[in-house]
Amino acid sequence: MASSPVRSPLPLALDGLTVAYGGPPAVNGLSLEVRPGEIYGLLGSNGAGKSSTIKAVVGIVRPAAGRVSVFGFDPVTEGVETKSRVGYVPETSLLYESLTPREFLEFVASVRRLPPASAAERGQALVAAFRLEEEYDRPIATLSNGTRQKVLLVAALLHQPPLLVLDEPLNHLDPRAVRLVKDLLVRYVADGGRGVLFSTHTMEVAERLCTRVGILDRGVLRAEGTLPALRERSAHGDATLEEIFLGLTEEAGEVRAAVDSLERL
Amino acid sequence: MGWRAALRLSGTAFTELSLQAIYAFRQGNVLPGGATGDLVPKARRRVLQSKAMVSGLLGFLTLGAAFLLRDSSLVIAHAFPYYLSTAAFDTGVVTALLGLDLAFLWWTGLQVLPTLLSSSVLPVLETLPLDERTLRRAAAILYLRLFDLPALTVLVLTPVLVAAAVGLPAGLAVIPGVVAAVAFALALSLLTARFFVARVQGARGGGGSTVLRWAYLVLWVIPAFGLFGFVTLAPAFFRELAHLTGAGPSAPFDLLLVAFPFTLASLPSLAAGGSSALPLGSLGLGAVGVASAVYLGLAAACLAWLGGAVRRVGQAPFGVAGSSPPSPFGLRTTGPVRSVLVKDLRIASRNPGYAFLILLPVLDAFALGLLSYAPGSSTGGADSLALGAVTSAALLATFFGPAFFAIEVLAYSYGRTLPLADRSLVLGKAALVVAIYLVAAGVVLGLVDLRLRAPLVFLAFVLAELPAVAAASVVELGLVLRRVRRKGLPVVNLYSGSWTAILVAVPGLIVVALPFTALLLDGGSSSTAALGLMALVSVAELGLAVPVLLGGVGS
Repeated sequence: MASSPVRSPLPLALDGLTVAYGGPPAVNGLSLEVRPGEIYGLLGSNGAGKSSTIKAVVGIVRPAAGRVSVFGFDPVTEGVETKSRVGYVPETSLLYESLTPREFLEFVASVRRLPPASAAERGQALVAAFRLEEEYDRPIATLSNGTRQKVLLVAALLHQPPLLVLDEPLNHLDPRAVRLVKDLLVRYVADGGRGVLFSTHTMEVAERLCTRVGILDRGVLRAEGTLPALRERSAHGDATLEEIFLGLTEEAGEVRAAVDSLERL
Repeated sequence: MGWRAALRLSGTAFTELSLQAIYAFRQGNVLPGGATGDLVPKARRRVLQSKAMVSGLLGFLTLGAAFLLRDSSLVIAHAFPYYLSTAAFDTGVVTALLGLDLAFLWWTGLQVLPTLLSSSVLPVLETLPLDERTLRRAAAILYLRLFDLPALTVLVLTPVLVAAAVGLPAGLAVIPGVVAAVAFALALSLLTARFFVARVQGARGGGGSTVLRWAYLVLWVIPAFGLFGFVTLAPAFFRELAHLTGAGPSAPFDLLLVAFPFTLASLPSLAAGGSSALPLGSLGLGAVGVASAVYLGLAAACLAWLGGAVRRVGQAPFGVAGSSPPSPFGLRTTGPVRSVLVKDLRIASRNPGYAFLILLPVLDAFALGLLSYAPGSSTGGADSLALGAVTSAALLATFFGPAFFAIEVLAYSYGRTLPLADRSLVLGKAALVVAIYLVAAGVVLGLVDLRLRAPLVFLAFVLAELPAVAAASVVELGLVLRRVRRKGLPVVNLYSGSWTAILVAVPGLIVVALPFTALLLDGGSSSTAALGLMALVSVAELGLAVPVLLGGVGS
């Protein structure tokens, strides 16, 4: 699929994306781009709208307004074309609990129409890389959260998609797997044509891994850019991403007040 | 903490369970579009609606039985070409009613218990600072709430209607039977859930393990087959009953008397007509007394066991059964349609609720095939047997077709991110329905053909109906899919989506029945012209269904 034709070189473009679940919008008029060769970090507090944005990108929820474009394809009207170009790791590892990782990956590879030889070869390599051999034929219901997350990562990487959409992909992983994923992602985008949309609220990870970051707060993009560019915008030139984030989301004062009030108890 | 706290906790847990049964968030479903503020009341309403439908069906069965009991002499005169005493007939009807009540409640339990296990509502309660007794009570009350309305329907309506039909003593005498049927259904649901957790859900993948899982599922499904099996077996049962009761007291009849539910079903007849109503010797009468006491004791033991067992099952972690065979770690791929079929079969092999839907038509075909060997069974020839067998296989396979859509609830949010066209999804599931039909038809064909040696007649019927079965499943699944895309995901199972399942099953059943109707209008024979007409209607239905139902669905 990596070599499948595209309409636009841009892995992902959001234009005025709005997602709502019946109440106030979870994402409100969001516009951003993931450029070729880029790992774009989407940062935000809980409920900021990161997962809703990602669900609109991968076609789980339909936008209330705005447009999503994956290499020029629209997930709403061109679902199959869009989804065949995306590898996705969801925030929660809710899979087909009754299937084993082998059965699940065979289903995913078949739906993605992977040629048998390449599915077998890549499957074997990824299973070995993530050390899934022991759990390969056990039902997913019996696996730990970390192992489920590894299965999801293998499923996302199996077809070498030109766009990876990862929602908190390092959740539950052991240090070895965290390192493996980080190194894999850096190499993944090195060819210059692929892109990664990476959601996290772990600032250290975003700081070390992402080419650019966007800070989402209550559904609105507060700031976007490279870390040096964001530092320039903040009051302190040597600020960490966490300090920039808390400053932009106006949460630094709230955190201090909350700690003070707890200490008084 | 006491009963009041347990009741309150179970109420909260039941609300969560209702939400999960309808929306399946813990299984990977996403929030439906539109207003989300009323999700909980809507879930409660839909569970209540499904309970009401199950209760309505149980009430309908009870009402039907009461009508048969009221006019038993008339029914015997018109329906049976042999002598059958009123008391024996009444006992047979109550046996059937108790058997159906048990099977139907058990089956309802099977539909919801996987949700109870996967929703983790009981483990969440365990983290609260509550004493053991309160937790045990809360779990037991929660379990009883799953069955409350249907169980109450059986417990209250049966004695009332039997009393109205036969008399007060008979109405009172049926109470032990209904109490035992309900208690056994509740216990069997939980026992099979434990079995499911231990042997099926946690079983490894691989060919040998899959065969073993299906073997377990067949063993386990056979008793639940009673729900439908009785309809198939009823004529043979009454014929055998007439034979046994016509010969006076006998050891075989005494044996039948100690079998559940016949023992307790004989009590209303004995209460209404005295000990001479049935051909009982003193041994037989004693056997009824002892067996009744044993069954009631067993029912009490079941209820006492449920108190603690619900909590243990709710906490049970999934074990991994079987050892790990050395195997390569590559992947075998197929096309998207076949991958849906294989995935559904694999999921069904670890989910008794779905396995039951696959095995029921096959077991029914097996029963039909075996019955053709029973002494005195119809020897009306290959035509009528083939027509009956094919009709039964087609109707059963198609009736449960929509339920296979419920598999899509599992990991729904993830499944929607895969590039699987709706057309492939529908065709994959329709292929499963067609495969079930073919296996069921093959079983009955194989069994009956050993006796009748008319394979071509059977094959002609099976093939003539095949396109109609495919058309019916496309109609049903296409309608479900449209509803899913418009209103969110309906969980099409008995416990939470019975309304949707019935709405789409009706047009499906009409599509399946039309070729048979054409055949019957043409005389019902296996002449080339009649079978040709049947095949023509069948192919025309498929030709219409695919473009109409799948034309509008793409990706």
